[in-house]
Amino acid sequence: MLENFVLEKDHLLPLLRKLGRQYRLVAPVRNRHGDTLFTEIHDLDRVEIDLEHQPQSSLKPFFFPQVEVLSMYGLDHDTSSGATWYSFYPQLPENRPTVYFGVRSCDMMAVMYTDMIFLQSSEYDVYYARHRENAIFITIGCNQPFSNCFCNATRSGPFLEHGFDIQLTDIGDRFFVETGRARGVQLRRQWAYFFRDATEDDRRAQFQAALEARGLFNRLVHVDLVTRILARQEEPEAIFAELSARCQDCGGCAYICPTCTCFTIHDQALDEDRGERLRTWDACTFSGFTRMAGGHNPVDPDRQRVRKRFLHKLLHDVEHHGRTSCMGCGRCVDMCFGGVDILRFIEMVSENETEHEETP
Amino acid sequence: MKAIDPRILTPTMVRISEAADMTAQERFFRLRLSRPLGHRPGQFVMVSVPGIGEAPISICCGPGDHDRLELLVRSAGSLTMVLRRLEAGDQVGIRGPFGTGFDLADFEGRDVLIVAGGLGLAPLRSLIEPLILDRQRFGRITIISGCRTPADELFGREMRAWSRVPGTRVIRLVNDTAHLPWDGEVGLVTAPIAGLDMDPAATLAVLCGPPVMYKFVIMELAGRGLAHDRIFIDLERRMRCGIGKCGHCQINHLTCCQDGPVFRLSTVQSLPEALA
Repeated sequence: MLENFVLEKDHLLPLLRKLGRQYRLVAPVRNRHGDTLFTEIHDLDRVEIDLEHQPQSSLKPFFFPQVEVLSMYGLDHDTSSGATWYSFYPQLPENRPTVYFGVRSCDMMAVMYTDMIFLQSSEYDVYYARHRENAIFITIGCNQPFSNCFCNATRSGPFLEHGFDIQLTDIGDRFFVETGRARGVQLRRQWAYFFRDATEDDRRAQFQAALEARGLFNRLVHVDLVTRILARQEEPEAIFAELSARCQDCGGCAYICPTCTCFTIHDQALDEDRGERLRTWDACTFSGFTRMAGGHNPVDPDRQRVRKRFLHKLLHDVEHHGRTSCMGCGRCVDMCFGGVDILRFIEMVSENETEHEETP
Repeated sequence: MKAIDPRILTPTMVRISEAADMTAQERFFRLRLSRPLGHRPGQFVMVSVPGIGEAPISICCGPGDHDRLELLVRSAGSLTMVLRRLEAGDQVGIRGPFGTGFDLADFEGRDVLIVAGGLGLAPLRSLIEPLILDRQRFGRITIISGCRTPADELFGREMRAWSRVPGTRVIRLVNDTAHLPWDGEVGLVTAPIAGLDMDPAATLAVLCGPPVMYKFVIMELAGRGLAHDRIFIDLERRMRCGIGKCGHCQINHLTCCQDGPVFRLSTVQSLPEALA
């Protein structure tokens, strides 16, 4: 059963200072350029934690870095025999206990999705696991969804039912506090003096805030309808072609997406005898993503390059995992200057359907 | 949590014991392993050259309790251009084996028709070897192998040896003799299918070759009444990880590296991109 508490707003910084002594602290920080990004905090008194704006980045880079060393290779010499040989040595990332503070529901759901991809399938990913172990999530419900948000339609917000360690809800001068997983319960107990038990008034205020938030979404997005349409055999080829033509091959949508996990592996020489094998983010919309040595490409980039992205998120993940891997965060809408975002796709497919239905 | 094994993404270095050009484009490698790979026919390995990178290469030798691994590599990309220059005594990195491959039990007591186009013969050799080695377990074996010119033929001597095994027929074709001596036939791999003595209810077909070949071979096989779940197809894709994560080889809901690269045609025929 969830336990409920209250954290006064002026207790927040003292609590974070305490946490910062025991854990690495990551939170949305507004930088001098006016960007709000999840950032590792070294000195709480010198940064501005921003809970007003949607963080432009998700937590993805903390668990699945844009560039990560998988192994080192080097040429070894046996001085007595003169023999030389190459070896690869796995390099595991360091594992630092971290509190992720101010995480929105969509981003928490995205972490749960990437857990499934990297940890629960047949091949356990040790690199992801090292980053992911010892992570504590203090999430915050969204009282006021942002302009491109549609997590109501992807069932990944604006508040969480599970998955968090601690979930906060802003109820005016205080936060309503729910403890979820064991680490959250333990953390609340360890610093019990920052919290008080929630009263009936606090519960009512939380209920009111959560209820009101559901009515504040700007957009009506037919995610389930589009999944149903895509599940029928005929594909929206014309829509794929139109959006593919407008894609500028930048990969921004995949990089900013909290659930895009495609990668490539390549070598980086450090000197003549040594180097690193790296894993870096990749994007299925890149024209070379599926091109094989010799030049053959089973995907026609001009007409099909967005197909994998949208079908994977809205259809195949529903078939495999029971839900879309779009979490409705809307980041790709701001990122894409060609208008090739998932919202545009969902709207085009669902409008198409409505027209069909209206035709006698 | 499961036991952590970073070796999945970390190659093991092995020595090349034999290297020889088979054609102007393809080089044959035999590697000496420290222990048997335990692969199934149709599986592949990720091959590395430190500092250059990694690419998926089909295993071209049959399975077994032996310490050799054979690969036939066409020089086509940045890695394979470097592989082309490697000699016996040099090292390459290996990860794998990956993929589902063929299950020899599927072929037990059946007639087997193998259609290979060009380099497609290399992965299928990993199936042909165990079929020939344990010949009585299987029905009639027919191998149709085609290439551009006699100079492009792969494993020609072995194909002649296979053709001498009882109950085994090998049809070797070129598109064009290019004024070179040639003791096989001239034409496309589709040509002999119509005239084969074939019982569609007792036959399994296996295809590997360039994508353009599939459509026409499948049409010919359909003309002979072969059901789509009796046709295996060994697909080629760009791959980076081999463990179903990197996304490159995804075909709709399937990943070629984990669900394939060997598929029953009935599984992939309706998927756009699959046979493209």
